[in-house]
Amino acid sequence: MATLVTTITETLRYKGKLGQWSWVLHRVTGLGVVLFLILHVIDTSWAAFYPGQYAKAIGEYQSPLFTLGEFALVAAIIYHAMNGLRIVLFDFKPEWWHLQQKAAMIVLGASVVLLVPTFAIMFGHVLHYYDGNPDLVTISDIIQSQAQFLLGFVVIIAAALLLSLAYALITGETGTPARPNRRPSQFDAWMWRFMRLSGLLIVPLVFGHLAMVHLIQGVFDITTSGHSIVGTDAVNSSGKAVEFVGRRWDYLVAGVAIWRIYDGALLALVVVHGFNGLRYVVNDYAHDRVVRRALTLAIAFGAAALIILGFAALLAGVDETAYGIAKEGLESFSKVPTSPFGG
Amino acid sequence: MKVKFRIRRFNPEVDKKPYWGEYTLDNVEPTDRVLELLHRVKWEQDGTLTLRRSCAHGVCGSDAVRINGVNKLACKVLVKSLNLKDGGQIQVEPILGLPVVKDLVVDFEPFFDHYRSVMPYFVPATPLPGDGRERRQSPEDRARFDDTTKCILCACCTTSCPSFWASGQYVGPAAIVNAHRFIFDTRDGATQERLNILSEESGVWRCRTIFNCTPACPREIEVTRAIGEVKLAIQRGGR
Ligand code: HEM
Ligand code: HEM
Ligand code: SF4
Ligand code: SF4
Ligand code: FES
Repeated sequence: MATLVTTITETLRYKGKLGQWSWVLHRVTGLGVVLFLILHVIDTSWAAFYPGQYAKAIGEYQSPLFTLGEFALVAAIIYHAMNGLRIVLFDFKPEWWHLQQKAAMIVLGASVVLLVPTFAIMFGHVLHYYDGNPDLVTISDIIQSQAQFLLGFVVIIAAALLLSLAYALITGETGTPARPNRRPSQFDAWMWRFMRLSGLLIVPLVFGHLAMVHLIQGVFDITTSGHSIVGTDAVNSSGKAVEFVGRRWDYLVAGVAIWRIYDGALLALVVVHGFNGLRYVVNDYAHDRVVRRALTLAIAFGAAALIILGFAALLAGVDETAYGIAKEGLESFSKVPTSPFGG
Repeated sequence: MKVKFRIRRFNPEVDKKPYWGEYTLDNVEPTDRVLELLHRVKWEQDGTLTLRRSCAHGVCGSDAVRINGVNKLACKVLVKSLNLKDGGQIQVEPILGLPVVKDLVVDFEPFFDHYRSVMPYFVPATPLPGDGRERRQSPEDRARFDDTTKCILCACCTTSCPSFWASGQYVGPAAIVNAHRFIFDTRDGATQERLNILSEESGVWRCRTIFNCTPACPREIEVTRAIGEVKLAIQRGGR
């Protein structure tokens, strides 16, 4: 067994074929998207619970730093999706293994082919935005408002560590087990299936979601007053991000709130898929039992918290009076602390 | 031709840290094998260089090392296959993920532990036939696991696997290959038990289909394919 550092440096040193680099990229992109997802579900819930705060969050999405991040995010999702499809293909057709090298090339090619027009359209939205007179959010604003998340992560992991230490004190199980865990379990077999099934389902859902907020409408059009709202027949009269979200969630087709169902499906699948991916990474690199149990706890807790928060927002919906509150929130931006965490 | 050798050296009784030893060999033929050149370094230049080999013909599986970045049997690699220029470099280091005993020799015990854990032996499904001769099998049934009978337990595959580097708890491709050998044998009666073992947390689900193992195998076993077949067998609930 090698240490974390040698594992990483040796992965870079070993002259593996393309598959090794596909894996590195798959892992890095997956982790990057999980990080974004955590922030994203939390701030989307503000549309329902802290409309003023939501205006700030969308203001950040429109800042230059996040615009760079947005391009990276879209590239990461597209590569991860293409490569995920390749993994699933060879999982179910192992006898095609000799085509694997070619398939890894095709994944790279397909990602680029998809990215070129996507980036072109996104770039169009960016140019259009800066043509006007945008209100820019500064980097210090972003750091200020994201610091609470960092604190949140630290608190959750510290709490999980304490719990895990307490467990270790009671059971006396510490250190790295000499022998592999021989507990028979169907859990991992089940999760393997889930990773593949959820991946397949996420592809149309997340591509559709990104098409709505990046291509058909840019992130910037979310706050353009008088702009039609994608996927609905409504118009954003206040030009507030909460109105965009509220009208989408309240839009009914034959009495069914289709975007709530859509967002709910995306939420549940992506959180479980992404957090189980996180668990894979922790299982690979965290060997000490106390640390591993702590991180596993934090992952389970984090996934549950995100799903509950996301669904609470979906159920609560956006109150129409919030369209006005959001306006005030944006105006008092960086003057009055409106953070739900008191920050 | 002339060849420069860069060999990872470590004597735990003397050295605090591993280091690179450098040696230059003249009169190297393109048809020389790397094992012979390692011998020349040991015999002509530095007798303390420690390596392991027995058969020298790709049969015993004892001389797996990492050559120019890829796991190989030193006895099966011809200099010409490395595409060196005159004075080019051959870098040799121990395979990664098993404790280094000295220089190029690693401790195989953890590797064999994983091998033993998958019940790599025949468990008869039926009593011996009345004539007291062998249990018969159709050529098609025999072909099903032919590929995985070829393993020589050299560990080239397991120690090329990033999942194994990350966690030595992972049972690793070699053990899965050897389980495959019996899982898909129609005469064997312990298929389900082996599938249960391989479905544990340390089993096949740790394979991320990275495909480092397949090109590393000196016996050209379709390693990742065998692992994929075992995964599907577990999902199906049987052979
Ligand atoms: C777009 C469609 C997607 C597909 C087809 C897909 C497919 C896959 C597949 C097949 C795996 C491999 C699991 C394994 O090796 O057992 C995987 C791992 C992973 N996925 Fe996705 N995925 C998708 C979207 C996402 C999203 C949106 C996220 C983030 C929230 C994500 C995060 C991860 C992570 C963190 C891993 C673990 C990586 C590792 O173990 O190295 N995936 N994905
Ligand atoms: C910067 C890019 C993105 C923007 C601007 C964006 C924007 C939005 C907006 C405005 C909503 C509110 C609901 C709606 O209008 O349908 C939303 C919800 C959601 N988005 Fe995104 N999105 C982005 C990327 C992503 C990605 C990459 C994922 C998946 C990993 C994702 C997953 C979700 C989920 C799960 C919800 C529902 C959350 C909930 O109901 O609590 N989004 N997004
Ligand atoms: S295919 Fe699986 S076993 Fe082989 S190197 Fe990759 S992760 Fe390891
Ligand atoms: S499968 Fe191939 S590489 Fe792995 S131990 Fe057997 S012979 Fe060596
Ligand atoms: S020395 Fe026996 S396989 Fe190389």
